[in-house]
Amino acid sequence: MFRFISHRLGMAVPTLLLISVIVFALIRLIPGDPALLMLGDMADPQSLADMRSSLGLDHSVVTQYLIWIKSVLSGDLGVSISSRQPVLDLLVERFSVSATVVLVAVLLATLLAVPVGLLAAWKQNSAMDLGLVGTATLLLSVPSFWLGLLLLYVFGIQLGWLPVIGYVGFGSDPMKALTYVVLPIVTLTLVEFGAIARMARASTIEVLRLEYIAHARAKGLSEGAVLWKHALRNAFAPTWTLIGLILGNLLGGIAVLETVFTLPGIGRLMVDAIFSRDYPVLQGCLLLITCIYVLVNLLVDLLYPLFDPRVKL
Amino acid sequence: MNNYVKTALAVALSACTFSMAVAQDKVISVGLNGDIRSTDPGVNRDDNTDAVMMHIVEGLVAYREDTSVAPMLASAVAVSPDGLRYTFTLRDGVHFQNGQLLTAKDVQWTWQRYLDPKTQWRCLAEFDGRGAAKIVDVAAPDANTVVFTLDQANGLFLAAMARPDCAGSGILHPDSLAADGSWRAPIGTGPFTLGKWQKGQYVELERFKDYSSRAEATADGYTGNKQAFVDKVRFEVIPDSASAKAALLSGGVDLLPDVTAMDAAQLKQVKNLQVQVSPIMTISGLLFQTRDPLLKDVRIRRAVALSLDYSQMVAALSDGLSMVNNSIIPTASPYYDSTAHQGYTYNLDEARRLLKEAGYRGEKIRMLVNKRYPQMFDMGLLSQAMTQAAGLNIEMETLEWGTQLERYQTGSYQMMSFSYSGRFDAAQSYESVIGDKDKEPRKVWDNPEALAILREAQREVDPAKRRPLFDQLHRLMLKDVPMVVIYNGTAIGAMGKRVEGYRSWPVAKPRLWGVKLADTSK
Repeated sequence: MFRFISHRLGMAVPTLLLISVIVFALIRLIPGDPALLMLGDMADPQSLADMRSSLGLDHSVVTQYLIWIKSVLSGDLGVSISSRQPVLDLLVERFSVSATVVLVAVLLATLLAVPVGLLAAWKQNSAMDLGLVGTATLLLSVPSFWLGLLLLYVFGIQLGWLPVIGYVGFGSDPMKALTYVVLPIVTLTLVEFGAIARMARASTIEVLRLEYIAHARAKGLSEGAVLWKHALRNAFAPTWTLIGLILGNLLGGIAVLETVFTLPGIGRLMVDAIFSRDYPVLQGCLLLITCIYVLVNLLVDLLYPLFDPRVKL
Repeated sequence: MNNYVKTALAVALSACTFSMAVAQDKVISVGLNGDIRSTDPGVNRDDNTDAVMMHIVEGLVAYREDTSVAPMLASAVAVSPDGLRYTFTLRDGVHFQNGQLLTAKDVQWTWQRYLDPKTQWRCLAEFDGRGAAKIVDVAAPDANTVVFTLDQANGLFLAAMARPDCAGSGILHPDSLAADGSWRAPIGTGPFTLGKWQKGQYVELERFKDYSSRAEATADGYTGNKQAFVDKVRFEVIPDSASAKAALLSGGVDLLPDVTAMDAAQLKQVKNLQVQVSPIMTISGLLFQTRDPLLKDVRIRRAVALSLDYSQMVAALSDGLSMVNNSIIPTASPYYDSTAHQGYTYNLDEARRLLKEAGYRGEKIRMLVNKRYPQMFDMGLLSQAMTQAAGLNIEMETLEWGTQLERYQTGSYQMMSFSYSGRFDAAQSYESVIGDKDKEPRKVWDNPEALAILREAQREVDPAKRRPLFDQLHRLMLKDVPMVVIYNGTAIGAMGKRVEGYRSWPVAKPRLWGVKLADTSK
C-alpha cells in the first residue's frame, strides 16, 4: 500500500511539472494583454510599457516561467495581477467555498442515486424502471444554469424562502450560511443524480446477470439480501470510478453555478482570471485542479478494493 | 423617583433604542457586476472600483451633472492669465474621515504621492508631460491655498483632475498609508467611509457622520451637496445579469445601476420597480483602418457611412432610448451643439455611386466584433446587413474582448465595431481618435490638420473659444470618415419603489448620497 501511494505520488511530480509548462505556455498563447485590459482603451504606449514592466511581462516567456516555477517550488504561487492578493490565499479561500458545495452535493447525489439505480435495475423494463430512468435522463439533460435559475425563481422570487444572492461563510453564521448554499447544492445534486443513477443501474444490471447472483438466489436468499449484500458491492465499483471523475471535475470549479448563485468559488475566480488575463491566478487555479485530479484519482484507487476485493493494490 | 417617572423614562429609552434600530436599518443594497480591484483609489482600479471609491474620496474639483467641471473641496479656483498657475482655495472646516481637518499640506502630500511613478497612479500620464502639460510644482503657501504650476497652458487640466478613473484625484489623509509607505485604507473626505470588504462578495460603506457638505441645496454630479441619508451602502457582487435581475425582483438588492435596455423594458412593467435613464458619454461606432489597402480610399469609407440607416439602427440597438449621433462629442456634453448634430444622411444610391467610382468589386472587408459587449456585436451585425444593400461585402469575425482590445491597440484590423469608454471633455473625446499612427497605432484618425486644431483646443481654457475649434474638427471628421460614430449609450438604473432620489447620469456611475429609503412598512 505504502509503495503504491509513494509510486503514484512520485508519478504525479513529472505530471505536474509537464502540466505547469503546458499551462504556462497555453495561457500566454491566448491573445490579449493583461496590462491593456487593466488600462483599457485610453492606454498610451508609455503607460502600457510601464504597466507591463511592473507586472514582469517585459521578460521573455522562458524567464517568466523560470521565475514562476522557482517561486512555486518554494510554496509561493505569486500575486494576482488584478487584486494584488497572494494567489495561494485566494485559492484556499475560494476552494473552500466550491468544495463545500461540491462535496455535499455529490454525497447527496450518491446516497440518492445509487439506491435508485439499484431499484431500477432490479425492476428492469418495468414502469418503475422507465419512470426512474426517464427522470435521471431528464435531470442529466437539463443545463445546470437553467435549473439553477428556475430554482432561484421559484424559491427565491416567488416563494421568497431563500436568498437569491450572496454568501455567508459557515464559520461566521452556520444557519445563515446554510440558506445561501441550499439552492446550489440542490441544483448540483439533481444534475449529478442523473449521471450516477444511470451508471448504478447499468452496472447493477450487468452484475445481476452473473452466475453468483443466480447462485445466491438459488440458495434461497431474499431479494433484499441478494441486492444489498451481493449485487451492490460489485455494482458500486464502476459507479465509484464515475463519482471520482465527477468529484475531480466539479472540484475544479462549478463556474456556471457559482456565477448564477453569486458564490465566491474557485470556478468564478478562474473565469474572472481568464477575462482579465490574470496569469498568476490562472496558473495557480490550473495547477490546483491538476493536483485535485491526481489526488481524487489516487483516493478512488485506494478505496477501490473496499468495493471490489478482486482488485489488489 | 416615583414609579410613574421610572416607567416614563423606560418607555422613552425603549423608544430611543427602537428609533436607533430603525435608523440602523437604513441599508441600501446595490448590485455590482464585478468585485472592486483594491481600495487604493485611481491606482489598482477598474470601473467598479472607481464607482465605489468616488463615495469615499473627493478631489479639488469634480464633474457636474452636465459634465462641466466645478469646485468640490475647493471653494474657488483661479487661473493665471497665461494659464500656467491654478490657485485653489480650500473650503473651510472640511474633515477627513479620521476627524483631522483638511489642509493645503494634505493636498500637496496627496499630489506628490500621485506624481510619484512608484504609486502607479492611473492618470500620471495626464500630468507628467506625456499628455498635455506637466505639473512642475504643487505649493501650499498657506493652510487654505494650493498652487499648481504647469509648464504650458492646458485647457484640460481641471477636466483631467476630475476624471472618475483618476478617482477624481481624490485627496487622501497621509494615514491612508502604513508606516512603511504601503497602502492601508482610504481616508478621504467623502460622504461614506470604507466599511467591510468581503472579497468576491460585497463591499460595505458607512455614512460619514461628520461629513462637511457643500452649501448648495442639492447634489450636482460629483459635486454640490453630497449629504448621505442612508447609514450603509452595500455593494453586492453579482456577475450574472439574470441573477442580478432576480435579486432585484426578490428585494435582495434595492438598485441595479446598469441594466440593459431590454431588461429595462421588462422591469418597467413590474409594479414595485422604477427605472431611471440617462444618456452617457460612451462613443459607439465603426472604426476603419485608414492604412488598409482597400479602406484607405475615403470613398469606400464614405459609402459605408451612407449605407447605414441610423435612426432604425439606433432605435434597435438602444430600444428607443438613445438618439443618433455622428459626432465624437457625446450628446450629453455641453459642447454638443447644432454643428455636432450634423451627420451622415442615409443614401444608398450615393453609396453605390461612390463604390463604383472607387472601383470596388465586392472585395471582402473583415469587421471585428465581440460578444462580451452585446451592443458591439449587434451594432456590427446591423451594419453588415445594412451595407449589403449598397453592395459592400463585410464579413464579421467574432473575437474575445481581450483579443479585440489588443487588435485595437495595435491597429491590426480592417474594420471594427467598437465602443470608447466615456470621455467627459470634447478635447478628450477627439484626443482618443486623433494621432500619429506610427507612434500610436490605436489612433484611428491620422490627420496633421486635425491634430493641430486639437492641440489648440487642448491649450485653450475659454469654452467660448474652444467651441469653434470642435465644430471645425467635426466638419473635418465627417469629410475624412476615419470612423463612423453611431450613438452614445445610456445608463439605465432599475430600483425598488422605496429608493428615492437616485438619478442615472452621463458619467454612468452610481451615486448613493442624496438617496433615501422610504419606509414601506406602514
